[in-house]
Amino acid sequence: MTSPKRLSQVDQRSLERRLKSGDEHALAELYDHVATWVLGIAFRILHDEDEAEEVVGDVFEQVWHHIDQHDARRGPLVPWILWITRNRSLDALRRRRRWWRKGERWGQAQIAEGADVAPSALNAPHEAAVPGWPLHREVHAALAALPEEQRRVVTLSYFEGLSHREIARRLHQPLGTVKTRLRMAHQRLTDRLQHLKDWFE
Amino acid sequence: MTDWLGMLAPPRAPRPELRERVLARALAPRRRWVAPLAAAAVLVLALAGSAWWAYRRIGTLTAERDGLVARVEALQDTVATFIHGPATRLIQIPVSTGGRVGAVTIFDDSARHRWLVRCDGLAPNARDQAYQLWFITDKGMMTAALMPMDEDQPMVMALEMPPPARGHVLGAAMSIEPRAGSASPSGPMVFHLQL
Repeated sequence: MTSPKRLSQVDQRSLERRLKSGDEHALAELYDHVATWVLGIAFRILHDEDEAEEVVGDVFEQVWHHIDQHDARRGPLVPWILWITRNRSLDALRRRRRWWRKGERWGQAQIAEGADVAPSALNAPHEAAVPGWPLHREVHAALAALPEEQRRVVTLSYFEGLSHREIARRLHQPLGTVKTRLRMAHQRLTDRLQHLKDWFE
Repeated sequence: MTDWLGMLAPPRAPRPELRERVLARALAPRRRWVAPLAAAAVLVLALAGSAWWAYRRIGTLTAERDGLVARVEALQDTVATFIHGPATRLIQIPVSTGGRVGAVTIFDDSARHRWLVRCDGLAPNARDQAYQLWFITDKGMMTAALMPMDEDQPMVMALEMPPPARGHVLGAAMSIEPRAGSASPSGPMVFHLQL
C-alpha cells in the first residue's frame, strides 16, 4: 500500500481558491482526488453506470460554475461535493422513478446490492489507489457501530432520499420511531466522526 | 458530521475516458442560454420583420389613400368646373335600352373642349358587348369612349374633345358594339344627336 498523502483542510482551501480564480488545473486535480467517490456515491444510488457518469459530469460542472456558493466557514470542500453528488443522484433517481414506475430493475439491483454499505467488488479499485480510502473505512466503521435499525434508516435517508414518512412506510414503523432513530444515529455519527477534518489520501 | 456519509459508498474507478469528458464539459462555455437566446433572437427577428412589413404596408396604403384623395379632389374639381363653368352647356338625352328608360347627360365645356358624360338607367350589357360613345364630326364618326356596363349603376366620365384639326364636333351618338369596341358604329344605335 502506498503511503497516504493528505488533502488537508489547508490543501482544500488552496484548491478552492484556485477554483474560484478559474484555474482549470485545479479542477483536474479535484477530479483526481474525488472522482472515485463521486462516481461511487452516484452508482450506489442509481445502480446504473451511464447515469452515474452523467451525474459525475453534473457535479463537476456545478462545482466549476458555482464554487462561489461554497462557504468555507460551513465546512470543507469535499463534503460539499459529496452532498452535491448525493442530491444530483437523488434528482436523477426521482426522474427515473417518475418514468419507470415498474421498478423491476431497481428491485433487482437492490437485491444484487446485498448489504447496504459493503464495498462492491465490481469496479472497486484497489484501496491503495483510492484517495480517501482511510476516511471511507472510518465512516464505515462509524456506521457499522450503529444498531441495525439506526443503520437502516440512515441508509434509506441518505442513499435513497426517502422522507421520514416514506421510511416509516417502508419499514412499517411509526413515524416517531423513525425520527427518533435518525436523530440518535446522527448524534452518534457526529460524535464518532467529529475528528474528521482532513481528507486523507 | 453526516456530510461525510457519502464516503459510505464503495469507491468506483471511473473509466479513463470519463476524466476528459467531465473536464471538457465543465470547462466548456455554458450553453444554457444558447437555446433561449436563439429563441429570443428568432422572436426579435420575427417582430422586427412584422414591424417592417407593417411599416411598408402602411406606407403603401397611405400612398394609395393619398392618390385616391387626389383623384377624388381632381374629379370634384372637374365636376365643379363643368357644372359651374359659364361656358358649359347641358344636354340631356333620353334613351331606352333593354326595355328601360334612362338618360345620358352631357356637360359640354366648350371653353376647355371637354365633356362630362353621365349615364343613368342604362341596361347592363351582354357579356360580349359594350356601349360605345361617338363624336359626330364633320369628318365622320370618331370614337369617344368605350363603356362596358356590367352593373346597373350610373356612370360618369370626362372626355377630351378631338382637336379641330381632326374634325369639328357636331353631335354625339351611342351604339352597342362588341366588347372590344369598333372603329365605326356597327351595332344598334342607342341615340344619335346633332348638337
